Amino acid sequence: MKVLLSWIREFVDVRESAEDIGKLMSVRGLALEGLETQGDDVVMDFDVTANRPDCLSMVGIAREIATAYSTPFRIPVDKALEPGDTIPVTIEDPELCGRYAAAVAEVTVGPSPEWMQSRLTACGVRPISNIVDITNYVLLELGHPMHAFDLDKLAGRAIKVRRALPGESLRTLDGTMRALTTDMLVIADAERAQAIGGVMGGADSEVSPATKQIVFEAAWFKPASVRATSKKMGLRTEASMRFERGADLTAPARAMARACGLLARIEAGTPTGRIADAYPVGHAPKHVPLERRRISGLLGMDVPDAAVVRILASLGFTARPSGDGWVVTVPGWRVDIHRPVDLIEEVGRHYGFEHLPATFPGVQQAPAPSDPRIARDRRIRTALLGMGFSEAITFAFIEAAAAEPFLRPSAVLGAGGEAPVALANPLSEKFAVMRPSLLPGLIDAVSHNRRHGWRDVRLFEIGTRFSPSEESRGAGLVWTGLATADHWSGARREADFSDLKGVVEQLAAVSLVTPSFTEAAAHYLVPGRAANIVVNGHVVGTIGQLDSAVAGRRDLPAGDAVYVAEMNLDALAAETPGDTLRATAPPKYPTVVRDVSILVDDALSAEAVRGTIRWAAPDTLTQVREVDRYQGKGVADGKVSLSFRLTFRSPERTLTDEEVQTGMQRIIDALIRNVNAVQR
Amino acid sequence: MSIIDPSIGPDRARELFRAELADVRTDAELQALRTRWVGRKGSWVTAFMDALATATPELKKTLGRGANELKKEVEAAIAERQAAVAATRRPANAVDITLPGRAPVLGHRHPLSLIRDEVIEIFTRLGYQVLEGPEVEDDYHNFEALNMPEEHPARDMQDTLYLATPIAPAGDPARWPLQARPRGKAPWPPQPRTLLRTHTSAVQIRHMETNDPPVRLVAIGPVYRKDNLDLTHTPMFHQVEGLVVGKGITLADLKGTLSAMAEALFGQGTAVRFRPSFFPYTEPSAEVDIQCIKCRGAGCAMCKRTGWIEILGSGMVHPAVFEAVGYDSDEITGFAFGMGVERVALVKWGVEDIRLFYENDLRFLEQFGL
Repeated sequence: MKVLLSWIREFVDVRESAEDIGKLMSVRGLALEGLETQGDDVVMDFDVTANRPDCLSMVGIAREIATAYSTPFRIPVDKALEPGDTIPVTIEDPELCGRYAAAVAEVTVGPSPEWMQSRLTACGVRPISNIVDITNYVLLELGHPMHAFDLDKLAGRAIKVRRALPGESLRTLDGTMRALTTDMLVIADAERAQAIGGVMGGADSEVSPATKQIVFEAAWFKPASVRATSKKMGLRTEASMRFERGADLTAPARAMARACGLLARIEAGTPTGRIADAYPVGHAPKHVPLERRRISGLLGMDVPDAAVVRILASLGFTARPSGDGWVVTVPGWRVDIHRPVDLIEEVGRHYGFEHLPATFPGVQQAPAPSDPRIARDRRIRTALLGMGFSEAITFAFIEAAAAEPFLRPSAVLGAGGEAPVALANPLSEKFAVMRPSLLPGLIDAVSHNRRHGWRDVRLFEIGTRFSPSEESRGAGLVWTGLATADHWSGARREADFSDLKGVVEQLAAVSLVTPSFTEAAAHYLVPGRAANIVVNGHVVGTIGQLDSAVAGRRDLPAGDAVYVAEMNLDALAAETPGDTLRATAPPKYPTVVRDVSILVDDALSAEAVRGTIRWAAPDTLTQVREVDRYQGKGVADGKVSLSFRLTFRSPERTLTDEEVQTGMQRIIDALIRNVNAVQR
Repeated sequence: MSIIDPSIGPDRARELFRAELADVRTDAELQALRTRWVGRKGSWVTAFMDALATATPELKKTLGRGANELKKEVEAAIAERQAAVAATRRPANAVDITLPGRAPVLGHRHPLSLIRDEVIEIFTRLGYQVLEGPEVEDDYHNFEALNMPEEHPARDMQDTLYLATPIAPAGDPARWPLQARPRGKAPWPPQPRTLLRTHTSAVQIRHMETNDPPVRLVAIGPVYRKDNLDLTHTPMFHQVEGLVVGKGITLADLKGTLSAMAEALFGQGTAVRFRPSFFPYTEPSAEVDIQCIKCRGAGCAMCKRTGWIEILGSGMVHPAVFEAVGYDSDEITGFAFGMGVERVALVKWGVEDIRLFYENDLRFLEQFGL
């Protein structure tokens, strides 16, 4: 709200500079947004919060300044108008229009005087004519919107406040033809709508240079109704903005007296001195109790009684002592005050929040535990950072096309899989659906880095994935480029499936589970290079090489091998043993290590060979490790040479050479028999 | 190399030797020096002894002793020098310690994650429980329970992103967001979830619906608003919201708590100031500024010459919110605050464009360490 310092000073004697006033008001509830010197005057732009329509005016802001500086506030009092039926006014819908005051005047339309024009201009309102300028002047000064009709244009020289009729339309002052609906309130004459109540007047009854007689309108319209109409029409005006936040039901008579007073003062016409005031329900002032102990109880500081009474009185409240406090009568313009806390805020902010001591809330009980996901996610995050992955945070909404390959296959919905969670009003196509996976966002992040010359990228994100049936927390991983960087001591190496698989295995270890990997098929993964991550028989994630078509669509170079993995952290947590961990002492007896090398068919999975070894081995076998895998010279085509290192140990005694040898023989026999192995 | 004049006596010879030793730089020079002074042939010692042959026994005895002492001294000095040289020689298996190490790759924390954990740490220390919650919410928990009924103008303050298809709570209560029927005015069965939460306040409502006071929690996580991307806005951002409810909780308690947080986040002595404001879910409401961390209140470009930087909104929980969750607003009071994680990061590290947090450019992320 732009206010003019000279105008404010008509209502309050404040000698401080605009800068100083701005500084103080900023900590009293009116933040100063801008300050502009205009000649010997200053325009101050205050940020008025949505609950204070009364401060969208000179007197509203002056009242706040007067209270902040503890100086008197005075309001211009114009000669009250006599009631009289100068024009018949009918309110057909008193719920939507609580009051409608009209006053008639003979006028000579022309420009308004220089001082009025310059005030309007300074506050951002364009001068139009003396009559319209008066309505705008009153709006800025008192905060109450007004309107002026050309009386000769009103059929039947009557005013009827009613809902729009079906099919009715109206050309508004901005020249736009507007279709009206029956939920909208209009100001009509005997025949048709002439204005949209509280929003904008009609062009047909607009005051023009030829106008001889006018009707001033000062009314009160229901906030929700004005808001709905304004929203539906996409038409926000100075009037609608004030009515929808709540106008003062007691103001129309004052505003009308002010307008008629100004009319005479600038010699723009002669008011009849009478007002037709349709006021069906009247105003019942609110009385709000204010207990003394509640003030300090809520604020945590004591405010002396004298200060409480001074502040409330200065703001226009009447505080009458009652019991352990006061009963406070709320003025009509304070539509935001309903409860004791609302009054405590008034007292607190004008007494000054700077007087608040800094105290701490006492602890009455042991704090409840935090969401377990926080500690769990932190563990996963720390492990990933240690393994060289940088943390990404991407938007949770993505392009529909980017989501498509990652949707869960669904028997019900067919090949396309489960539908994504789409937004009704997305910001743009780029943010159309909620991500079903963390990978699309990470792939785009890789693509961004790739475009900026960063080839070796390891990224992860921990975040929420969305499906129509659930939200789940996941960890997405992406790795492309080098596994081992260039170094003087040795060769560089590109990352491969095994590198990322190792990371996944470590994440499982961090979660105290042992994963297995089963072949998987996914739209976004290269066939034959994709696996499900399985824990205790449950799939908790997927790993593989990103399909080059999917990568290509996100602008990744075709030659880049990109490895991705995603784990459902909620599913993983469900498999993680809770407090069941029991520590064991280190083994007392030594281990015996034996190597075995075999030739097998190269289509045979490592899992099959390892399984055979474990199946044939005595209980004392504690570990099997693949230590070499070789194909090439000396190994027939279709075969692979494998070396395993086996570790034996008994918890009860030192193993003898013979029993280990017997065990080894059984293992070798089983390998020969079951997987067609040839010992090397 | 000339033979040293044997006629100079041991004392003069010592001086000469010392001078020559001081000039020796290499191992070879040291060996030459030894030969010249105490070698078996043609050295000063041999020449001097030869010259002594004709001397009187008396003279021979004294001068001979002097020459022998000098010989020992020379041997010792050379041995000492040799040892010193050996000590500085590079051992055969030495490594070039100036070559770059073979560094394991370390990842970098996202700056928003750093702030998030810092805030969690601060409030855990102050005895708060930290909660997360669903990101897809129903209208009741995101708005209505927070004193923002359908037609409330404040809904304009937070332009909302809605789902194309509401997620129905369905017939299976296990899929409903809460197991127990909430206390208060929450609709039952639950409303379909229709929107992306505009703040984490819904988490607080859900907590109060199923837990008795006192409450002392921080809700943290992503929130969504229909804001276009620009220097200071993103349609998704992260929020931290605190809530303390109990008997006798005051606005002064809020000031103490936020002062402690500001000092922990922005450094010792960071002052806070409360400016009265308006939020539908708090009364009184205050926006909270910290003293500008760049100019310490003197006024600079970062704080637009005011000396203060706005970082969060806060206030005393509105009685209507307590009524919505079935708390007795005559018995208890509470404070609440909400802060943007991005906002803190922008201020703390002087980042000028909020979009950088969502580009995940490694050249940007690298700065933030672990």
